[in-house]
Amino acid sequence: MQETTAHPPEAAVTVRLTLNGDPITIEVSPSAILLDVLREQLGLTGTKKGCDHGQCGACTVHVDGRAMNACLRLAVMCEGQAVTTIEGLAEAGHLHPIQQAFLDHDAFQCGYCSPGQIMSAVALLEDHRIAGDVATVREAMSGNLCRCGAYQNILAAIQDVRLRRHAQEGGGDA
Amino acid sequence: MSDITEPHVVGRRTPRVDGVDKLTGRADYTVDHRLEGMLYGYPVPASIAHGTLESLTLDAARAMPGVVDILHHGHFPDLHRSPNSIRQGDAVSEVRLPFEDDRIHYHGQYIALVVAETFAQARAAAFRVEARYHQEAGVMTGLAASDDEGEEVRHYTRGEPELAFGIAPVILDETYTMAAESHLPLEPHATLAEWREANQRLVVHESTQGVFYQRNALARIFDLPPERVEVISHYIGSGFGNKLFMWPHAVATVAAARMLGRPVKTVLPRQQDMMTTGHRPASRQRIRLGAELDGTLASIQHDSLTETSSVDRYVDACGGATPSAYACDSVATRQRILSVHHGTPCPMRAPGEASGVFALESAIDELAVALDMDPLALRLKNYAHRDPQRGLQWSSKHLDRCLESAAERFGWASRDPAIGSMGDGDEIIGQGMASATWFAGRQPCAAEVTLRADGSVVAACGTQDIGTGTYTIVAQTVAELTGVPVERVEVRLGETRLPAGPLSGGSMTTASALPAVAAATREALAALKEVATGPGGHFAGLAPAALDVEAGTLQADGRQADFAEILARHRLSGVTGEGSAAPGDERREFSFRSFGAHFVEVRWDPGISRLRVARVVSSIDIGRAINPVAARNQVEGAIVMGIGMGLLEGLDYDPRDARLINANASDYRIPVHADMPEIDVELLDYPDYRFNEFGARGIGEIGLTGIAAAIANAVHHATGKRVRDLPITLETLL
Repeated sequence: MQETTAHPPEAAVTVRLTLNGDPITIEVSPSAILLDVLREQLGLTGTKKGCDHGQCGACTVHVDGRAMNACLRLAVMCEGQAVTTIEGLAEAGHLHPIQQAFLDHDAFQCGYCSPGQIMSAVALLEDHRIAGDVATVREAMSGNLCRCGAYQNILAAIQDVRLRRHAQEGGGDA
Repeated sequence: MSDITEPHVVGRRTPRVDGVDKLTGRADYTVDHRLEGMLYGYPVPASIAHGTLESLTLDAARAMPGVVDILHHGHFPDLHRSPNSIRQGDAVSEVRLPFEDDRIHYHGQYIALVVAETFAQARAAAFRVEARYHQEAGVMTGLAASDDEGEEVRHYTRGEPELAFGIAPVILDETYTMAAESHLPLEPHATLAEWREANQRLVVHESTQGVFYQRNALARIFDLPPERVEVISHYIGSGFGNKLFMWPHAVATVAAARMLGRPVKTVLPRQQDMMTTGHRPASRQRIRLGAELDGTLASIQHDSLTETSSVDRYVDACGGATPSAYACDSVATRQRILSVHHGTPCPMRAPGEASGVFALESAIDELAVALDMDPLALRLKNYAHRDPQRGLQWSSKHLDRCLESAAERFGWASRDPAIGSMGDGDEIIGQGMASATWFAGRQPCAAEVTLRADGSVVAACGTQDIGTGTYTIVAQTVAELTGVPVERVEVRLGETRLPAGPLSGGSMTTASALPAVAAATREALAALKEVATGPGGHFAGLAPAALDVEAGTLQADGRQADFAEILARHRLSGVTGEGSAAPGDERREFSFRSFGAHFVEVRWDPGISRLRVARVVSSIDIGRAINPVAARNQVEGAIVMGIGMGLLEGLDYDPRDARLINANASDYRIPVHADMPEIDVELLDYPDYRFNEFGARGIGEIGLTGIAAAIANAVHHATGKRVRDLPITLETLL
């Protein structure tokens, strides 16, 4: 038989971070998960919870430019870091090129996994360690589940942006 | 290319009107809604599958920070059950109310609902609830572990199938099984319940494929007039069938909100979502075929057994497509169900038929091998030019064109039928094909369209967009009839305050909703014409019928006035038209179905035991595609789900105690980006105007039928192993 005691509320911790370009200071419980803080405390509900176990990728955000599952990260770990969510991607009302490409290629259906897919796609395109061939991109995107199965169009959207970028950068063989 | 000059909006590739909201994170899914003073619910699942709950110890949980209340069998209001009637529109997925008694019928059944100030607090406390159970003997772990043949619920016979089977020169008698599958919509089930007006009005946000069904069921359960219950579902993070009808979490959450006088939101954790909100039940199907030496089918017998739960009687009718699949005089289908100690199953994308077509189209392939016939030729040999089940003409059937077109694009003519004969380096290529089919149905639907003074149009219908693109095709329909651009059409869906719309299910939404939207649009235009031809109007004195509608204007005698001008002159904020549509008597004359063909290439590398689907070529005949880009996306997505059905997916229940072992998004494997083959989907364009004025039959489900069979047939071609049990796992091939 377990003894029951009243649990004192956890002491809040102050965390300073940059969120979507703006420096913010938040008070969070030491055990608070970044995903829950974004969604429940800060009202940024664009980042989705699909499994809460790092299995589906719907909660993908950028932490210092790297794609990470917000459900596997404590908010206190973000001290001094720059966190970007889907809400921080479009600038001045203009869709990010990846968002535009998702729209053009119909790279979604229900849209629930889309913020995570988009955040992974943006990080992937910035990561020069990841080659641009189809098989590599598919492998790199495999942490983001899409139950609607819009994978073919997601791939097309990513490769479309890659080609345009390559052309803009003056790549001759694009 | 033709997009620029093409005057029609219906049938044109149209980017989704809800796309920007979805891609920027602004779309409001149920899980995203928050209300002032809102509490969070977190259910506690039973850890056994069969027995009774002896006691709950709640002290530790109650003492956790933020806990407001814990609901359970001893602490729950007396509620009513829903009559669970499709006809009355109050169907539910599980009839038993949560915490109704102390019986445990399946692993994961809710034994309590912890309600706390925050999500994290509710979850932490839920893990401190202690339960003691009495496990009972006689647990039914699934049909695979039982010889019990269950109970017959349906049968169909024409001709003399047993006699014809007995004298046929070539026969086949094989049994096919499929594991239970999880829908796994990325947005879990979620309910946000708020009571208003001294508990006399209920507002519920729910991730549902049917706001009206949920409204009506909640009204029954909480004994309220339906108009005092409002259900809202603007965006749904997909459904695939398990969000058609309400599950117990919603009832528990609504009850908690009433008990506590505060809004309560429950978002099911993924594990519980997989345990408690349905699945495609496991099936065992026996197919017997009798054929002449030239391949003419003399007899088809299709016996199916599917699981249901011990609390509900769900029938996954596997033989639904079989009676009309082939021109065969003697056909019998029988459907049986077996109660097991799992959660209640429910429809999953192409329910019944996705399983049934796997078995039938595998068997047809086996027959082709036995006859030494090309499987495509065998299908054409037995082509059903009329519906042999109902003896009626098809409204529109172009399966032959599907088969021929897909075969040509795939390169079927160069296939060497010898087993394992086609190699490419270390890999052995296998090629297989199968037909696809899904019924075409319509439901009654109402809609309302308002032409507004600012020149925009609002279209409202109480159906839903579960990701299939309903928002966009409604906008296209209004744009087509008014000439107002799609961007100026605002579409409202997913609310019971709107005119009653159908379930988003059965691939019926397009054919049900668009005629109603069109009728409402025409009514609105008629109202505008009446204004314009009335006293002081732009066309005063003319007959309304003399006016033409073009590009958001009314025109006559070389004069034109746009909608906004007309409304402004009369100081009107807008004019509204209401419309409704329902199926007529067209079914007396014609049979309506959609058809398709899948050709699949698998690659088997025996050196490293790797099997993958490399290429899928499909042609689909669904009448008219309203938005071809979204329609093709539906088929591609269904093919992906079919790869899961064929090679990956199966819910694993412990054979000792029926506990669900792999209730998470990792151990239950669904296809990921890396599993993707090359996919080439063609939508034939044969509008079915006998079905509705837009010629559309719906496209959500057909793509899933036949894929698993085509994969299994390709695996046989590559390896010589006929795998009759899904999913096809590597160990089967070693």
